[in-house]
Amino acid sequence: MQNPMPLALPDLQAAFAAHVAGGDRADLAAAVVGDSISAEARLRIYRHHVAYSLGSALAATFATVHALVGEAFFRSMAQRFIGQTLPTQPVLTEYGAGFPAFVAGYEPAASLPYLEDVARLDWALNVAFHSPADRRLTAADLAGIAPERLPSLSIAVPAGTALIGSCYPLHRIWNASQPGASAEAVDLSAGRANLLVLRRADDAAFIVLDAGEAAFVASVVEGTSLEIAAERATSAGPSFDLSTAFARLLALEAFAAPQQKLGDGPLKAPG
Amino acid sequence: MKPVAGIGLRSPHLAEIGRDRPAAGFLEIHAENHLGGSPAGQAIERLRESYELSIHAVGLSLGSADDLDEAHLARVAALVRRLKPALVSDHLSWSVHGGRYFNDLLPLPYTEEALEVVVRNVGCLQEALGRQVLIENPSCYLAFGHSTLTEPEFLAELVRRSGCGLLLDLNNVVVTAHNLRLDPCDWLSGLPGEAITEYHLAGHAVNDADGEPILIDDHGSRVGDEAWALFGEAVRRYGARPTLIEWDTDIPALSVLLEEAAKAEQVIQHAESDAARAA
Repeated sequence: MQNPMPLALPDLQAAFAAHVAGGDRADLAAAVVGDSISAEARLRIYRHHVAYSLGSALAATFATVHALVGEAFFRSMAQRFIGQTLPTQPVLTEYGAGFPAFVAGYEPAASLPYLEDVARLDWALNVAFHSPADRRLTAADLAGIAPERLPSLSIAVPAGTALIGSCYPLHRIWNASQPGASAEAVDLSAGRANLLVLRRADDAAFIVLDAGEAAFVASVVEGTSLEIAAERATSAGPSFDLSTAFARLLALEAFAAPQQKLGDGPLKAPG
Repeated sequence: MKPVAGIGLRSPHLAEIGRDRPAAGFLEIHAENHLGGSPAGQAIERLRESYELSIHAVGLSLGSADDLDEAHLARVAALVRRLKPALVSDHLSWSVHGGRYFNDLLPLPYTEEALEVVVRNVGCLQEALGRQVLIENPSCYLAFGHSTLTEPEFLAELVRRSGCGLLLDLNNVVVTAHNLRLDPCDWLSGLPGEAITEYHLAGHAVNDADGEPILIDDHGSRVGDEAWALFGEAVRRYGARPTLIEWDTDIPALSVLLEEAAKAEQVIQHAESDAARAA
């Protein structure tokens, strides 16, 4: 039966959006020509495609979560998430920021308490990968600065940098879940992990930090001076050594190049 | 741009294409895959030395009764400014409603109301980019009872009012014609041929709906015989144009895409030499 009053375009699109999100709409079905393939069956093709393609996008972004739980489990978990949170824009690599928090509360995954952390790591790697490769701080940038001025400097981190802390050996879980990894059991009680996620020249990667280094980077990200960062690092990890840690992070290109020549601008007062 | 055969640039092939620079008439990228700062963006900028580019958008939602997403439009415009492609295109469809994005090419009723919406949105897009864009016929799985125009009539009127060009996807014609019980050659004859600026070729899947076969545009296989035949017909009728092999799911080795492009190139060359003889 045809609808006597055709739906105006905004109403038709609202009805279609509701249909795609899972709600059956008799007014929409009435607007569609059915024959030996019914209007409802024709409409379902679009609903399935939207769900399937968004599920595939999440599976690509959260590839390690997908590898850990398998296709069927991932699809039903993604389905529930998509039902709650559709993308708000068309760049699918920017879809899924809320997925780790959703995973944390997803009851069927409760037996995998580290899954949220894996999802946070997948997301951070995805964000880093799609961040611009801005110039990094090098030893040359620091060359002209008097050593006594170094502690009072504050240094930025590059776009896409993230610090992921986990109560589990997250790097081991992540590595064991990559394609081609040997099927080695991961000891979940091996202690917490602090991972620094970085955009590198041709990819994104994480490096494992010790507790002192992690506290140092967290403080730098906050915008404190190196001196304060070092104090915090020492209380987090008593063996922390500023010059060793700073040299390691500098070699890993973990700091952003300064906007202006370092040491030229007004320096923050210590403390 | 000369009538040559190109391929869709997909991330699994990026390193190989960057290294070997295989012969291909042009490369087409999906705008929405390259709006961030990923390493692929730098690689594509380097490929501009060897290839003409086409930017194919899938998310501008030109058929939305809502206004265009200004932020997204600005990002696409910045990409177009940066890569200076020979061609820019999106679809006759919609994918955004109420600030939510559905990641599908959703169908429009072919009415005067929808035509005004698409003409307005295409106008905004062409103004933002400062250039003509091409609009592609979508694959359809349904038709609306209150449509007053056929799809070719709608496209012809869109071209007349907005000044856009057409991207004719022959596989989409095959899919739509089968699913909506239309004759693909009739469908083809209703188009304003001079507006066709690019052809797309791809494969489709066959699924089941209510116990009957329905064709699904999945870009996951070689171009089918029917699409090749229709491509030949379109080239005879309207002339050769830049032609793209699209492949988005179950992506094969690069050599398979290049083989398909070589097949398209033969059809183009044949038409070109026929045209030269006739002239």
